[in-house]
Amino acid sequence: MKEFLMLIRENADYGEMTAEQMQDDIEKQIKWVEELMAKGNFKDGNPLNHEGSHIKGNVITDGPYVESKECISGYYFLLANSLEEATELAKGCPSLALGASVEIREVIQVEQ
Amino acid sequence: MTAILSRIFGLQHLDLILDIVQDTFETALTRWRFSGIPDNPSGWLMKVAKNKALNAVKRAQKSESFSPDLILPASIDLEDHFDQICTDHEIKDSQLRLLIICCQPVFSSRNQIIITLHILSGFGVPEIANALLMKEEAVKKSLSRCKSSFKAIPQLLNVPVVPPSNEQTEVLLRILYLIFNEGYKTTRARKGINNDLCYEAIRLTKLLLNPKQACYHQVNALLALMFFNLSRFPARLTETAEWLSLAEQDRTLWEIKFIQEGFYYLDISTQSTQLHRLHLEAIIASLHCTAPNFKQTNWAKIVYLYQQLELLEPDSPYIRLNRIIAQSYLQNAAACIKEINALEMSSGLRQSFLFSATKADIYYRTGERDKAILAYEDAFQLSNAPLEKKFLLRKIAECKSDGHKDSA
Repeated sequence: MKEFLMLIRENADYGEMTAEQMQDDIEKQIKWVEELMAKGNFKDGNPLNHEGSHIKGNVITDGPYVESKECISGYYFLLANSLEEATELAKGCPSLALGASVEIREVIQVEQ
Repeated sequence: MTAILSRIFGLQHLDLILDIVQDTFETALTRWRFSGIPDNPSGWLMKVAKNKALNAVKRAQKSESFSPDLILPASIDLEDHFDQICTDHEIKDSQLRLLIICCQPVFSSRNQIIITLHILSGFGVPEIANALLMKEEAVKKSLSRCKSSFKAIPQLLNVPVVPPSNEQTEVLLRILYLIFNEGYKTTRARKGINNDLCYEAIRLTKLLLNPKQACYHQVNALLALMFFNLSRFPARLTETAEWLSLAEQDRTLWEIKFIQEGFYYLDISTQSTQLHRLHLEAIIASLHCTAPNFKQTNWAKIVYLYQQLELLEPDSPYIRLNRIIAQSYLQNAAACIKEINALEMSSGLRQSFLFSATKADIYYRTGERDKAILAYEDAFQLSNAPLEKKFLLRKIAECKSDGHKDSA
């Protein structure tokens, strides 16, 4: 199977969610990942800290909020046979329902 | 978590504390979405909170713009201190202290409830607004006023970590009673019952259990009352989430284990040498919970207990009304109606739908359908709660359909 990087971009503000919504969100996320794992499509996934640094030329600034409002909040490495399949899997990501956008790119592997 | 952090930073820095707490939960959400909930979630949370607190201290030490009264121990001491005060016993003490601080007479009862729910129970502004049917703006205003009070009146925070005095306990019990009450029958929320409020009320009341204190028996009485009421929750709403009266409830759905727990607390409470209104309320609740069906309710005993309550609280129209309701099952209904009318006049509570609804129910039971319908319609006009109104409409419909059967 091929490896695909899935980037999630969102402006999730948990401060505005109610407790019920937060719980709902976590449950959906966990369920989605568990399904991926069960079918062998999940390799790795991690959230990214909101604070970071940005370098362009000689200029170093804080955080990723430089050009776009939407910030990459996390990444997954999925396993699938094709971009189409990976895209189908990515459609199940619960963050989409909250307004996030998702980008899927195949990782170029060098055949041994 | 807030309780522990308030021991370290002091409540005058409530904003800082709440920020750390909020931050910790956001980190938890972000992390747990990806890797699932850890085996020991509270341990995980405290560890993250501790690190954030340590970072806050380091930033404060570096930054000069931090208020000079933020006297914090050196970071190394802080870590040990943190671990020391994270034992179960210390956590309980910290929460108790925080509860006392939140429930001080300088704040209105409503504000005491709001701060308690926000600081101790972690209720967010939308949750509090929903629970107490306030606008979110109003809740925010109340909270910020309370926070300003903490900053402006440092004596408010001078609560040592010792058991609360009797006066303090009385105040606390009243607030906790009100919180439970709001969960038991929400005033205008969509759902009739707010379980979270009830559970929180119970959890906080348990903090007050201390056999060495004079108020010990009262605390037990309140817990008994709460558990007896809690036991009936599964039966109080229909599948379509509408109210069922006590007479209509399916008693097999009542949670026996909560009734038993209620009796556990009741037994302890009745070892007191002083009678308190909570004792009486708890015993009345126990009589309802142990009646096998509505018809077999021991109304005579209940009337007697309400009469004792009336002696303790002669000014409460609601206690009197409850006594009259109980009496209406034993004797001359017409006399009861007369008494209710008199009560309505004297209490000046014409605006409460309870009086009309009670009369309606008595009329219905004594076969006076037309009067019942009129009284229910009165009640309907006076009620503000959507679920209540649905209930009253249903009663009106029942009166009308029975009426047809009679005349046919």
